[in-house]
Amino acid sequence: MGNATAALLVFMGGFIVMVLEIVGARYLAGEFGGTFYVWVSQIGVVMIALAAGYYVGGALADRWQRLQRLAGLLVPAGLGVLAVPWYAPPVLEAIVMRHPSGEPVPLLWQKLDPALGSAVIFLLPCLVLAMLPPYLIRLCARRLGQIGRLSGQIIAWSTLGSIAGVFVAGYVLIEVMKLSSIFLTMGGLILVLAGLCCWLDRGWASPSIETTPDK
Amino acid sequence: MMRPAAGTSLCSPPLPRHGGRQGLAALVLGLVVGVGLRGDTVFETTSAYHRIRVVDGAGVRTLLFDRAEETRMSLANPLEGHFEYIEYFFMPWLWNPELNRVLMIGLGGGSAQRLYAHYCPGVAVDTVEVDAAVRQVAETYFGYKPGPRQRIFIEDGRQFLRRSQDRYGAILLDAYTQGRYGAAIPHHLVTREFFTLVRDRLTTNGVVAYNVMGSLTGWRADIVGAVHRTMQSVFPQVYLFPAGESQNVVLLGTLVADPPTLPWRSQRGREVFESGRVKLPTFYRRINAFRAEPPPNASLCPVLTDDYAPVDGLLSDTWRR
Repeated sequence: MGNATAALLVFMGGFIVMVLEIVGARYLAGEFGGTFYVWVSQIGVVMIALAAGYYVGGALADRWQRLQRLAGLLVPAGLGVLAVPWYAPPVLEAIVMRHPSGEPVPLLWQKLDPALGSAVIFLLPCLVLAMLPPYLIRLCARRLGQIGRLSGQIIAWSTLGSIAGVFVAGYVLIEVMKLSSIFLTMGGLILVLAGLCCWLDRGWASPSIETTPDK
Repeated sequence: MMRPAAGTSLCSPPLPRHGGRQGLAALVLGLVVGVGLRGDTVFETTSAYHRIRVVDGAGVRTLLFDRAEETRMSLANPLEGHFEYIEYFFMPWLWNPELNRVLMIGLGGGSAQRLYAHYCPGVAVDTVEVDAAVRQVAETYFGYKPGPRQRIFIEDGRQFLRRSQDRYGAILLDAYTQGRYGAAIPHHLVTREFFTLVRDRLTTNGVVAYNVMGSLTGWRADIVGAVHRTMQSVFPQVYLFPAGESQNVVLLGTLVADPPTLPWRSQRGREVFESGRVKLPTFYRRINAFRAEPPPNASLCPVLTDDYAPVDGLLSDTWRR
């Protein structure tokens, strides 16, 4: 028990992040138009979420050392994604319509409005999902001498999940599912992830790292 | 070549079709023409959206986005040499003989703007174009002259409509993005929500005209059928003008319910032409392309919505089924 399960969790996390990114760009185009800036914003915001999530996730892992507590963050993230079809339209409408009608939107806001909209919807869920890799590296670590290998594996599985997310979202999901159903499914998957974290908690309780070097 | 065999598309009729080979030929032709276009490149730039090229050859100036031809214009006479479908953008006059304000989404080389300025001087044309570089090219190489009667807005078309409070007698759509395998319709400009926005910006006898690259039974019939079905969910009447010389179908959605009979159209066309408001020489002839009946596959096609608009799938692959 351990590394394979951790690989599964970070794979799911990486998968969901990229499905949200790809489908999200499509979703934002309905509000902000099909401009280049929508894609730029979406990619930029998700990268911000990843950087922040790695940073905070690593710190929390040292402090909490329990998988279960991560579930406490995943549940609101999942509920937030589930609720996108309901809360996002009025919020995005407000962002777009705050400019006086009848005159063009200043170029600066043509660029920044989609980033703002993307941040409101996607920043927090993606941030929480990005906590998984550093968190699981900490929980799986048993021997200092193998930290390099372990972290490489965890990050690789997370990225493999992201790769799968990109292609599955772009090639399949957008053609067979409604956007709203995709958000519901991803929100549900995040809740499943939270459930897994609770369920697997005992297996990873309070690990201590051997600092003696390997032979 | 990514095109699948005929008869396997998302909303094609279950009966065998014969359009596939013809469509494939059209696509091959399109690529060959686009890639192998002979002439001198007089300008080239890369914008956020396209590699934009202006090529002069055989007395014709061509605007290319990536590999696809957007606009053609005769160098000797800029009022000649344009694509046939541009002339169907004058058909809204049949339903709206008092036309004086037009909105055009998508500038390209400004063919429609040039023809409207020359043949319908009484009409003010607003244009929305998302790519600022296209405006520069249109002004420098295609004689597009913005002014009070030819206003230009650099913005996304849907954003513009949403925030505008103006009403137009006709809204003309010719907005495309380019993919490796040809032109793609921007998905946010073909949904029911988008057409609702268009309808709300039209005057009471307003008309929307939509250029769809495709044909009624062969190449890209799926997208033509889907756009038709989607427009029908918003507009009381939707008519077709399939181009004879190219793979374009111009779809017209009207708010008034005039009887679409041949005598009515001929009569109305003659009135408009003789009034001098439309001086386009081919106007009367173009009326003959009119079709009232929907594309044969329309009832099988999905209504496109913001929530579900698999336009890339309709245009390219058909793994479903």
